[in-house]
Amino acid sequence: MIQADLTVILPEIVLALYAMAALLGAVYTGKDRLAGPLVWSTAALLAVLAFWIGSSPAGTQTAFGGMFIDDGFSRFAKVALLLGAAAVLLIGQEYMARRGMLRFEYPILVALSAVGMMMMVSAGDLMALYMGLELQSLALYVVAAMRRDSVKSTEAGLKYFVLGALSSGLLLYGASLVYGFAGTTKFAGIIQVAEQGHMSIGMLFGLVFMISGLAFKVSAVPFHMWTPDVYEGSPTPVTAFFATAPKVAAMGLFARVLHDAFGGAIADWQQVIVVLSVLSMFLGAIAAIGQRDIKRLMAFSSIAHMGYAMIGLAAGTEAGISAMLVYLAIYVTMNIGTFSFILMLEKDGKPVTDILALNQFAAREPGKALAVLVLMFSLAGVPPMLGFFAKLGVWKAGVDAGLMGLVIASAVASVIGAFYYLRIVFYMYFGTGEGDVEAKGSPVLAVALMASAAMMLVGVVYQFGIDGAAAAAAATLVN
Amino acid sequence: MSLFLIAALPFLGAVFPALLIRAGRNAAASAAGFTTLLAFVGLMLHIPAVFRGDTVQASIDWLPALGLNANFFLDGLGFLFAAMILGIGLLIILYARFYLSREDPMGQFFCYLLLFQGAMVGIVLSDNILLLLVFWELTSLSSFLLIGYWKHLPEGRQGARMALAVTGSGGLAMIAGMLMLGHIVGSYDLSVILQNKDAIQASPLYLPALILILLGCFTKSAQFPFHFWLPHAMAAPTPVSAYLHSATMVKAGLFLMARLWPVLAGTPEWFYIVATTGLVTMLVGAMIALFKDDLKALLAFSTVSHLGLITMLLGFGTKIAAVVAVFHIINHATFKAALFMTAGIVDHEAGTRDIKRLGGLRHLMPVTFAIGTVAALSMAGIPPLNGFLSKEMMLEEAAHTTWYGSALLVPVLVTVAALFSAAYSFRFIAHVFLGPKRDDYPGHPHDPNTGMWIGPAFLVTLVVLIGLASAKIAGPLVATAAGAVIGGGELPYYSLKLWHGLTPALYMSIVAVIGGVVFLALHAQLTRIWTALPRPEAKQIFEALVRALTRTARVVTDGLHNGALTRYAAIMVTFTVIIGYAAYRGGTLGAATREMQTAGLLPVVGWFALVVSTLFIVAKHRNRLVALVLIGVVGLVVSMAFNYLSAPDLALTQISVEVVTIILMLLALNFMPKETPVETPLPTRLRDGAISVVAGLGAGGLIYALMMRDFAFPTISDYHLANSYKGGGGTNVVNVILVDFRGYDTFGEIIVLGIAAMVIFALTEAVLNSRVRAYLLNRKPDLPQAGDAHPLMMVVATRVMMPLALMVAAYIFFRGHNLPGGGFIAGLIAAIAIIMQYMASGFGWATERQRYPYHAIIGSGVLIAAATGMGAWFNGMPFLTSAFGYIHWEPLEEFEWATAALFDLGVFLAVVGAVLLALESLSRFAWQPGISSEHAMDINPARDEAAKTGTEG
Repeated sequence: MIQADLTVILPEIVLALYAMAALLGAVYTGKDRLAGPLVWSTAALLAVLAFWIGSSPAGTQTAFGGMFIDDGFSRFAKVALLLGAAAVLLIGQEYMARRGMLRFEYPILVALSAVGMMMMVSAGDLMALYMGLELQSLALYVVAAMRRDSVKSTEAGLKYFVLGALSSGLLLYGASLVYGFAGTTKFAGIIQVAEQGHMSIGMLFGLVFMISGLAFKVSAVPFHMWTPDVYEGSPTPVTAFFATAPKVAAMGLFARVLHDAFGGAIADWQQVIVVLSVLSMFLGAIAAIGQRDIKRLMAFSSIAHMGYAMIGLAAGTEAGISAMLVYLAIYVTMNIGTFSFILMLEKDGKPVTDILALNQFAAREPGKALAVLVLMFSLAGVPPMLGFFAKLGVWKAGVDAGLMGLVIASAVASVIGAFYYLRIVFYMYFGTGEGDVEAKGSPVLAVALMASAAMMLVGVVYQFGIDGAAAAAAATLVN
Repeated sequence: MSLFLIAALPFLGAVFPALLIRAGRNAAASAAGFTTLLAFVGLMLHIPAVFRGDTVQASIDWLPALGLNANFFLDGLGFLFAAMILGIGLLIILYARFYLSREDPMGQFFCYLLLFQGAMVGIVLSDNILLLLVFWELTSLSSFLLIGYWKHLPEGRQGARMALAVTGSGGLAMIAGMLMLGHIVGSYDLSVILQNKDAIQASPLYLPALILILLGCFTKSAQFPFHFWLPHAMAAPTPVSAYLHSATMVKAGLFLMARLWPVLAGTPEWFYIVATTGLVTMLVGAMIALFKDDLKALLAFSTVSHLGLITMLLGFGTKIAAVVAVFHIINHATFKAALFMTAGIVDHEAGTRDIKRLGGLRHLMPVTFAIGTVAALSMAGIPPLNGFLSKEMMLEEAAHTTWYGSALLVPVLVTVAALFSAAYSFRFIAHVFLGPKRDDYPGHPHDPNTGMWIGPAFLVTLVVLIGLASAKIAGPLVATAAGAVIGGGELPYYSLKLWHGLTPALYMSIVAVIGGVVFLALHAQLTRIWTALPRPEAKQIFEALVRALTRTARVVTDGLHNGALTRYAAIMVTFTVIIGYAAYRGGTLGAATREMQTAGLLPVVGWFALVVSTLFIVAKHRNRLVALVLIGVVGLVVSMAFNYLSAPDLALTQISVEVVTIILMLLALNFMPKETPVETPLPTRLRDGAISVVAGLGAGGLIYALMMRDFAFPTISDYHLANSYKGGGGTNVVNVILVDFRGYDTFGEIIVLGIAAMVIFALTEAVLNSRVRAYLLNRKPDLPQAGDAHPLMMVVATRVMMPLALMVAAYIFFRGHNLPGGGFIAGLIAAIAIIMQYMASGFGWATERQRYPYHAIIGSGVLIAAATGMGAWFNGMPFLTSAFGYIHWEPLEEFEWATAALFDLGVFLAVVGAVLLALESLSRFAWQPGISSEHAMDINPARDEAAKTGTEG
């Protein structure tokens, strides 16, 4: 029995043991001198795990009496988040090492938060949900404040922590209400109660508070307040991490809770998700316009993108979940490319985040500028880049689910949003004045940038099979 | 040739110019030209089928899940546009080869041009509206690159940005419209959509879909009020203007309106939106064009005007108007492309496009003069040129169109527009070519080489030929294309000929031409009036809009994200309250199933104390000590409440935890100023107060509502109550849960507790070895320290209480399994007993007498608990299974003995060790030189007199 359970969560166990072993090993030996090799080995392990999970046979297995679910949906999300985390580790390594920020705890914390994220997308129980969520969050709080000598970084970490605790409280309060009225913490039990028409007001409140808590994790408006501050204050590689894997995990968990536990009561949560989605898209689009700091801009961009992904969630259909997964996968790829570019930017050895410094960048670095152009158009959702197909997918799911108003609002928001992505391109190609930023950094960055941009173009013809995988994953979640 | 190949050829060909530019400019141009020619020939091979009325199709599944299929089809309309795009493209490539100078990167230019060409061909051949969208946005993208091609000109940049912003946004809006259209029909294939007129027009989504699609069309085709981007895009090199802004890209909007005409047209909404927009655009464009001095700006606004004309015709919604629209599309493409190229030649040779600096060129550039004049006369609508034919037919249609009950409005406005149109056409001829020769041209005007004028010359030949023998030359094409626009069915009667008799249209035409001549004569005076008139400059409005948007964005952003945690929390809580309220309104609340209990005096007093102390905390929270005391009161009342509600176990736990935490916080007070500063203004605090009151009342109300109702299921308590004695051998359910039912959790918890204490210890070590130590040693407390740190009375009292407290702890521990108590509480009580010694007699004194290190105590606790758990293995039971039995041990009475008690001992030790280790570590922060004394008591009568007098002094 226990052996079967352990087999199901073997990847998580391997990663957790690795993190602990690495922590102990590094403390007693080289400490920060080992940070570089640790980054590489952690990234390699994450990639191996992704491959392992991705190639494991189809089918649904549960462990620990249904607390942990290993199905197509969780596997899709895990592969996306593990690869995202691995890529982010690699692109940030040289940047941090050069600035003396690379501590050996960094890759270990990333690995631990990855364990938490894997738990989140596999949670089949309110307890497992909370455990995964907190494991991920605690690691993230520390990573956000990792630059201890920077006031901005510590402030960002503190804000994130305090608000995160508030949202965790909300989530717990909601979870306890749900438990009280459903009589069980298992999603499988909750959905039975919810489907029998027993969606009592107590459970409804529980659901609403849980949504509030989860909305904080996906940084949906108005629970997004921490995002710009943390994105700006954290070291850029950490920001890149925040923008990728945790978003996948949080959206995965969101979908898991809403469909596995409350799948029978779509009408009860659809409105809330629609509101969150619309607010996120508009605030993300409008607030980004005034930003000059590219990291803050990307924070608002990620808020808006979560809004679009939530359209798929709001649809409440299999197609919606499938579109959401595809959206997340594409979003992560775009962000890795974009952050590779941001990591490259420097002037006299100091990192630069002001977008005005990009003036005339295309004249100096035509190849990189072209790649960024592709990425920006893709982020804006302009056809024929892959980002367009992501948006098209969620829109189509929304239209088919009858959420016409949401889709129209989303199109309007994407028009506003296109403005600031295009502004970056505009500065690069036609900007006036003196931009003097250089794009340096390790070859890893250039490779990541070019590969991500190339995927935006190649993906138009061949989507690497993710649409099929996402459809299969969605089928296991929605029933 | 397969339609796939025709659509793909320009894209494939786009690579060659970029690669071949090293081999020379001719090689790059020929590669581009050859690819285009190949595609053109491929298209022409379909002539027989298309003119038979067949639809050529080619399809392949691309992303079926999204409804996006790579389906292409070719009918009359598609053929007309594809032929225009490829044919004029060919002429433009030829022209550009000679127009571009040696410094211009020609390979890049042809690459972008072919990309653009491919995107345009894709639009007109798409059989899938999503595929069409992809190509649609691709034209925005490639045109952005083409317009911005001349990087050294600032207007080029501005123009490129504005064009992309306007057309790109329109395209995104159109996506939503297309999705709706596809949703109504259930398919995204045009061939299916075009069969579903009734379903579409009956749908409630018709109007939103129509508006969104038209937004895309209007922005692309530069219709009022989006017309402003087109003239500013004129900073692009002339071949680009000629290609994009006369023949192709701006026609994409018209194409789409024509393509969807069978299903969207014919409703009043369509008429009022499309026809009105077209009419206004036609009029406004023509008026502005007359007063532009830049040759290309004049042509740009004239293009805007003509696009408006075609839009208006499509908007009329009648079949005959659609035929005229198709005919005018052909005519406009021929004469306008020729005019643009003429303007380019003039610019190229004379060195300027400013009409004021030109004139008299007819002697210097006779060929250009001839070409330009014919084309301009056609634009003015002078017989026997093709422009006259379609304008005549348009006037005929306009003459009997009523707009909102007014029969005169449309004809009059159209005549005025035609008048201006004639005037600016004449001006093009008169002010550029006629007049006296000047001697201050910036360049040396002369006719260009053949390569440059052959293109426009060819087009002008078409202008004349279509005019003279329209039925023969353009007839079949118009019939086929128009047949496709109106979507099958009989074509209405029309005749493409010069003389229709004395129709109203003829009179209107005559008025327009004569008026045009008059206006040209009065041009100088009119210009003065025009410049004096206040008129909105669209570019400035656009920029002001962008600025306003940016400013709004900043205000919103700064308002929301001012960095203050309180504001963030306020927004989060407010929103949660709102959705909580929504849930309350949305859900059904059954009737209360429980009785309200009567409140005795004691609970009311407790409740009152709770509320009052909470309010005081809010009011007095700046004074940290007072706040702590009040928090203590709250904790006390809560533990009393537990006690009152028959949960003595909880009460004990609560009060022990309460004491320990308060002591911990009191320790922390040592390092902080006495009061916190006021950071927020009064209104903010009032706002926050209001929010918290609402949220608090909401939470209270929620709990009240919940407690008045039974849960859906029997609670888990019943299970535990039933099984506590039977399974765990204890009647104190809480304790049995801790050590038995949930023993695993407790085991984990004591480990965590131990780790937490160790972490505090480790952090203390780290901090005290850093620079912080100096600060700690030198800090001055806010308040003066008390004179006697270790008062006599307290020391004596704690000495007496120590054994008593430990005794109580032992008692609580042993009774724990069946009565309120247990290892956890006992541990806390024992810890408090020892803390008292630290407090009363001083750190140094207590440490000296502490024989066992706290680390070891924690460790032994965990080990004992683990060993107890593992003991179960020897009996073949899972980890932590408890067993109990009865022991008779003389002289004691028989008593029950459960292994859980041993586990509880582990808990006890871990708790004692953890609490004390944490407190000891923290108190080390407070150490300063001079505060430690060797004596347990500051005043000890047993000690010498000097100490006594010393303290008295």
